[in-house]
Amino acid sequence: MFTSNFLSAIKIILILFFILPAKALSQNATEIVKKADELMRAKSSYTELTMKIIKPNWTREMSMKVWALEPDYALIFITSPARDKGTVTLKRKNEVWNWLPSAQKVIKIPPSMMLQSWMGSDFTNDDLVRESSIINDYTHKIIGEEKIDGYDCYKIQLTPKPEAGVVWSKIITWIAKDLYLQPLTEYYDEDNKIVKRFEGSDLKTMDGRKIFTHWEMIPLDKPGNKTVMDYTKIQFNIKIDDSFFSEQNMKKVR
Amino acid sequence: MITYIKLAWRNLWRNKKRTLISAASVFFAVILSLIMRSMQKGYYDYMIDSSVRLYTGHIQIHGKDFWEKRSLEESIYFDETVIQKLKKNKNISQIIPRLETFSLISSGKVSKVVQVNGINPQIENDVTKLSEKIVEGNYLKENSSGILIAEGLAKLLGVNVGDSVILYGQGYHGVTAAAVIPIEGIVKFAIPDQNKSFTYLALNNSQQFFSAYDRITSLSILLNDADEIESTKTFLKNYFDNSYEIMDWAELSPELVQSIQVDNASGIIMLGILYVVIAFGIFGTIMMMTAERVKEFGILISIGMKKGKLAIVTILETIFISFIGVAAGALISIPILLYLVNHPIPLTGETADAILAWGFDPIIPFAFYPGMYFAQIWTVLAIAFVSALYPVNFIRKLKPSVALRG
Repeated sequence: MFTSNFLSAIKIILILFFILPAKALSQNATEIVKKADELMRAKSSYTELTMKIIKPNWTREMSMKVWALEPDYALIFITSPARDKGTVTLKRKNEVWNWLPSAQKVIKIPPSMMLQSWMGSDFTNDDLVRESSIINDYTHKIIGEEKIDGYDCYKIQLTPKPEAGVVWSKIITWIAKDLYLQPLTEYYDEDNKIVKRFEGSDLKTMDGRKIFTHWEMIPLDKPGNKTVMDYTKIQFNIKIDDSFFSEQNMKKVR
Repeated sequence: MITYIKLAWRNLWRNKKRTLISAASVFFAVILSLIMRSMQKGYYDYMIDSSVRLYTGHIQIHGKDFWEKRSLEESIYFDETVIQKLKKNKNISQIIPRLETFSLISSGKVSKVVQVNGINPQIENDVTKLSEKIVEGNYLKENSSGILIAEGLAKLLGVNVGDSVILYGQGYHGVTAAAVIPIEGIVKFAIPDQNKSFTYLALNNSQQFFSAYDRITSLSILLNDADEIESTKTFLKNYFDNSYEIMDWAELSPELVQSIQVDNASGIIMLGILYVVIAFGIFGTIMMMTAERVKEFGILISIGMKKGKLAIVTILETIFISFIGVAAGALISIPILLYLVNHPIPLTGETADAILAWGFDPIIPFAFYPGMYFAQIWTVLAIAFVSALYPVNFIRKLKPSVALRG
């Protein structure tokens, strides 16, 4: 009688001492990732940006407007160069559609083309639609604190949950403690080899938020390749609903 | 030794019929195995030659890494003067420029990824006879703005000559390539894969469409003589710097090489079975010969002939018989094989139609190489020599008393 009570008391104490703080910490990591994610993505947004595709022997620059309604919808309207102007990419759940003004036609990208690069960039069509959410599909753990580009950051490791259909074996991201911005994120493949880096910099205030406006996607397996994005305008939580993301509207947006 | 040889030789002609029957078994063995091997080799050569002619060419020149990545970024500048210079090499018979890439083709609700081949209509037709595969519409001209699509693909998209399809892909340096293109003609391929995914544009048109002005992805080279592949490769490697890759047909179609290797293995097994049959035939005749000479051997040994000497004589006899058979077989087979090489056996009926549909000629081709020729001769000789051990053993065990009683 006494012993069993004593044992359960010990158990409770043990739980209080070891397990709860771990829980609290991991929740903490999840909270941090959530905050960072919400800061950059919001519920909905309108962005104007230029994308520079850099290859070993050529570069190409495009400008575009992006309307997004998290997590399912995005519409990208290319404004330059002249040759691609008016091309629209619509992401709806896990489908990608393109409006080709030169052919006056909407085309659905078949699954076999999902892994092709989008507009020649280091992003694939699949990257546009990948359903994985860094909140729900990963477990988060703070594995250290480091200074990156002068920002004091939490170093957080994201490990995919077993049931999540995710291509990365892990993601390591650095999140600035006070701004909740991510100056650096590293993606690892199944051999635990780093495949690409995603770097943010150039802090500006846009639409009342302090955010990074310069992003670089660097595929490490392809030296000399890089995709650089510069935000010129961004609006968070705009009034927009899913009817905006329709085939009809692809032909109308300007 | 001379005496032995004389004895053996005379022994042969004491019984002409017996000798001729054994020699004939060797003779037919040589002819049969030669014809069989010639047929196998001929078939492989023909396969290689057809695939080279219909598709890859003997040698291809691409930009470095093109074969692995297959993108327009590895395309090369198409220089007419280079072609003229290469044409001076007397081994080279044809040079075929192509701009090959993948695109999305779409009509109505159906989209599919297809291979888009930018071709020079004239040169392509000289080599692959593409215009003969047209089942509807017209073949391309140099300045055509239309597209040829494979027949299975046309069915899939539900389109016909005169309709338009949308071609949507990525051009050189990642620019978008999208256009509505009228279908000029429909081509039918026997190979199902090709029939579902091949399309052709005139080279100029495809260069514009993909913003790959004056560029091509490959130069296919056809040679006058397939034996000159290595020397021509060396010549090309010296001509082009290492920003190019030079590949021969074996590197370009490893699956063909593999299927030939597999088939060759089974061919060798078949040949093995043939050899076993031949061996028993030769062995059988020698056994009979030995058996009917029991009395003769018995008498010779009884009157003091050494068994060893007798064995040597019989061995010599077998060797002579084998040589007579092999020499006759080899001589007779030369004209037969040469005739077959030049007049392959034509096939008729349904088989012929099926083979024709695949783009091959309905024939059983033969080939003739010295190497293969001598391989058969040595093998048959070896079989005959091994068979010669039987009478030796027979004589060793022979008891004259038993032999004489017959």
